Amino acid sequence: MDFLLLLLASGLVSGAAYGLIAMGFALIFKSTGVVNFAQGELVMLTAYISFTLYSTFDLSFFPLMLVTIPISMAIGLVLERLFIRPMLGEPIFAIVMVTVGLAVVLRGITIMAWGPDPFNFNAGIPTRVVTLGGVPFYPAQLYLIGALGVLTAAGWAFLRFSRMGIAMRAVAANETAALLVGISVSRIHAIAWMLSAAIASIAGVLFAANFKLAPDLWFQGLRAFPAVILGGMDSVIGSAVAGLVIGVIENLFQGYVGQGLREISGFIVIIIVLMVRPFGLFGSKDIERV
Amino acid sequence: MRTGHFKERTAQLVALSDSKVVWSFAGLLLALVLAAPFLIGNYQVTLLVSAMIAIVGAVGLNMLTGTTGLISLGQAGFLAVGAYTNAILMMDYGWPVWLSMPAAGVVSALVSLLVGVPSLRLKGLYLAITTLAFAFIINHVILYAEWLTHGPNGIFVSGAKVFGVDLQRGKALYYMTFGITVVVVFAALNIQRSRVGRAWMAIRDHDIAARVMGVDLLRYKLYAFMVSSFIVGIAGALISLQIRFVNIDVFALILSIEALAIIILGGLGSIAGAILGAIFLSLLPEAIRLFFDAFADTNSSFYTTYVYEIRGITYGIVIIAFLRLKPEGLIGLWRDVRKYWSNWPLAY
Amino acid sequence: MKNGLLALSAFLLASTASYAADPGVSDTEIKIGDVNIMTGPASFIGRAVSVGSKIAAAEINEAGGVNGRKITIITEDDGYVPARSFQALTKLIEVDEIFALNGTSGTANVLAMMPLIEENNLPTVVTTAPNELVYQPVRPSVFTVGASYSDAFYAQLKYIHENTEPENAVYGLIRQDDDFGGAVEAGYDRAVKEFGVKDGLRIRFKKGTANFAAEVAQMRQAGVNVLANGGIIAGAANILSEARKLSMDLQVASVWSEDMPPSVNLSAPAGYDYLVADYVALSGPAIDAFLEKAKKYASDEEVAAINRYTYVTYVGLKALAEAMGQCGQDLTRACTVEKLRELKDFDTQGISAPLSFDNPEQLSGTAVAVYQLNAAEKTFTALTDFADY
Repeated sequence: MDFLLLLLASGLVSGAAYGLIAMGFALIFKSTGVVNFAQGELVMLTAYISFTLYSTFDLSFFPLMLVTIPISMAIGLVLERLFIRPMLGEPIFAIVMVTVGLAVVLRGITIMAWGPDPFNFNAGIPTRVVTLGGVPFYPAQLYLIGALGVLTAAGWAFLRFSRMGIAMRAVAANETAALLVGISVSRIHAIAWMLSAAIASIAGVLFAANFKLAPDLWFQGLRAFPAVILGGMDSVIGSAVAGLVIGVIENLFQGYVGQGLREISGFIVIIIVLMVRPFGLFGSKDIERV
Repeated sequence: MRTGHFKERTAQLVALSDSKVVWSFAGLLLALVLAAPFLIGNYQVTLLVSAMIAIVGAVGLNMLTGTTGLISLGQAGFLAVGAYTNAILMMDYGWPVWLSMPAAGVVSALVSLLVGVPSLRLKGLYLAITTLAFAFIINHVILYAEWLTHGPNGIFVSGAKVFGVDLQRGKALYYMTFGITVVVVFAALNIQRSRVGRAWMAIRDHDIAARVMGVDLLRYKLYAFMVSSFIVGIAGALISLQIRFVNIDVFALILSIEALAIIILGGLGSIAGAILGAIFLSLLPEAIRLFFDAFADTNSSFYTTYVYEIRGITYGIVIIAFLRLKPEGLIGLWRDVRKYWSNWPLAY
Repeated sequence: MKNGLLALSAFLLASTASYAADPGVSDTEIKIGDVNIMTGPASFIGRAVSVGSKIAAAEINEAGGVNGRKITIITEDDGYVPARSFQALTKLIEVDEIFALNGTSGTANVLAMMPLIEENNLPTVVTTAPNELVYQPVRPSVFTVGASYSDAFYAQLKYIHENTEPENAVYGLIRQDDDFGGAVEAGYDRAVKEFGVKDGLRIRFKKGTANFAAEVAQMRQAGVNVLANGGIIAGAANILSEARKLSMDLQVASVWSEDMPPSVNLSAPAGYDYLVADYVALSGPAIDAFLEKAKKYASDEEVAAINRYTYVTYVGLKALAEAMGQCGQDLTRACTVEKLRELKDFDTQGISAPLSFDNPEQLSGTAVAVYQLNAAEKTFTALTDFADY
């Protein structure tokens, strides 16, 4: 197996994790205009809940997700209702700061409930190494890449064809106009949070299955920011692709340049992107230079 | 009862306050703060010094975020730049503290140019994300540029003396910090009512209109960022003097969030708000501690296991509650009280 | 000579200070401070430490206290943030008026507290951060228990070199890019230079990294078969799991955090029987006896939080109490510091090697033992006795 191939493969794995987390960000940003700083905490909380379900009922992966996803959606809904809905009409900035406060609270609650020790959590996925094209993978890594693929396709179809998805895009394009044609904007906001929480739970479970379940999992929320920017903030599909790109860039940087550069290469990319293509790879080009 | 405010000249309009009462209360407050070290214990003095440093940092950030409407998530990074500049100049190059501290501000302002030029051309949240990126990158630079920053080992900061007085402890530190805080607050108040300050507010309120009126957006945004970073750099230098040790762990990312929380709690765009917010959040952990000591059974296992996490959670809840219930912040609360007082018994 | 001068000055201080009682001591009580990580992901350390202090204090108090004075522990949280450690110690000194300090959080945290410790001549036993930065330069009132990460890695690599080294050995290092990682690299560096073995690759990573795929691929590319694994907990486990994926045949040396049960649970599935070196015992009669004691003095929840940090803190407080006891009724900080400096071969009932601070660095318990994990059974066997390196 070739060194480069190995780097590319592992880049895709970590990129898929970024992509999934970034999709959650983008979904909420697209329909509500809010950068959700509690996304990383949502990822962590849902992963821990899934862990408890797993260790109580001993489920395998798909049944586990069948239980985890609805619970996560309910959490998304509750958070939206309790913390975001009452802020409707306040400046975006205030709502963003509410998510910052929410992040602190969720982090504290998670550690209170599950303690600071990390857990081994394979989410019912087998751990035997499989080889694809000469490159070894853990099944959980393939699940991660697969999940990104499936969710990207599903997300695209949802936004393109479903009534709800089109309504969501309408809200993103112009909230007032959407309201005038009879779309319930607040309902769309709630749905965005529920779907985002669902994606967060998939990201969280698969991340934990690959890289252990620890209370610093929330940090991946910040790590996914380069992908969000590169994808263009408001593009759900773009974030997924950008996640993969960032993952591969990071691993190539580490492999060929080395010395801890991986952790900041993504952020260097952010600055370059903002200089040359501020709307990202797929974002809508209404960046104003005023 | 005052029946109204009639401003007849421009000077009255831009005056800091036209009320003798306000000035005398401010004077009384100043006198109280000046006398404080003789009235309270050393620990409380340390807390006050931390609160004043937080005020300096918050006033700096408020200029950028509150007055000009640009969000920065890189507060921790600029604090680190200021603290490290001060520490390196003092300890490795033997600069006296009265030179190294302004230098910390200048270096921090220069760095802000680097970050600001690519991102301030754009509207929206982009500065927030570049400054977040900056915080990560500066962390890397500090750890890896060992020849300059001593890498992960950190730097002990000692011997900050002016006329033989050690400025790093006790009352000397308190009065120096107090002096700097007063200067920074007055400078900020004055900039805000100058031509530059009005341009910043114009950019915040409506950038297109500001441009039509002849405000050069990029230039004034850069001014705001540089002035803000200068002040934050000074705050960083003060941190290095108080703690007497700088290390990358001192400037964790959470500081950026705390700084934003301070100015939001206080009331965005208001300098008095930034001051109130800084005092409130610096003293909140103490308040929570007192609350728990008074009302909780300190021997229960729930208490011993969870009290610390509960403190963290309370912090988040305070932020949320203020945004939800009183978005104008503490200063808004204060204004309400004042209105109620001066209009009583009539509702307004 | 230098030590003599220090002892003399301490004696002079003691003779003048004995009339004015130091803070934190009353006729019935001695207050000992503990600044620790009680919140956040690293709080497993702080919780373990506070259990260690609690057990030691309970045991001492039950046996009549220190010359009739009961020990009270006052814990402050710093959340692993140095600025808050500074605040916390200020509070302990000014408000609670502690007499001495036993828990000291992480390396950067001790360093942030150092100016206060020196200023107050606060007898301080550092047990959880035995880093060179802490004991060099020597601070008169600071006593460090434990071997450096450097010695711990040297000991393991020496064992591998002498006993189990594979043919065509290529050594590789992966370490964090901070002070802790620097200490790990120092031990690695000493080992490869001294043994004259091939130094394949040295990699640094950022704290909080989860994905080590690229690093392990680099290791494989360089042909590394003896790995100094400077990752901790989830990080170390992720490194081993990547190595398992690439079916690398490795001899692994690890950080002592890897001997704690949560770490073992994470790392064991990768199947590597890695080594650790630690300055406390991991199993055997000493530990069994300690756990019996723990059940007597601590709640079930606290017993569950016990790990190696509990043992080192327990040992640290016992040593501190011993020195305070030797001072008799006129207990002062200066006297405690002096007695700590004279402490020699203090028996820890096998939990660690005997403690002696009578050396220029005021550093004890530098002897480490090398242990090997049985990944299938998640148990450790001692490969060597406690020895200095």
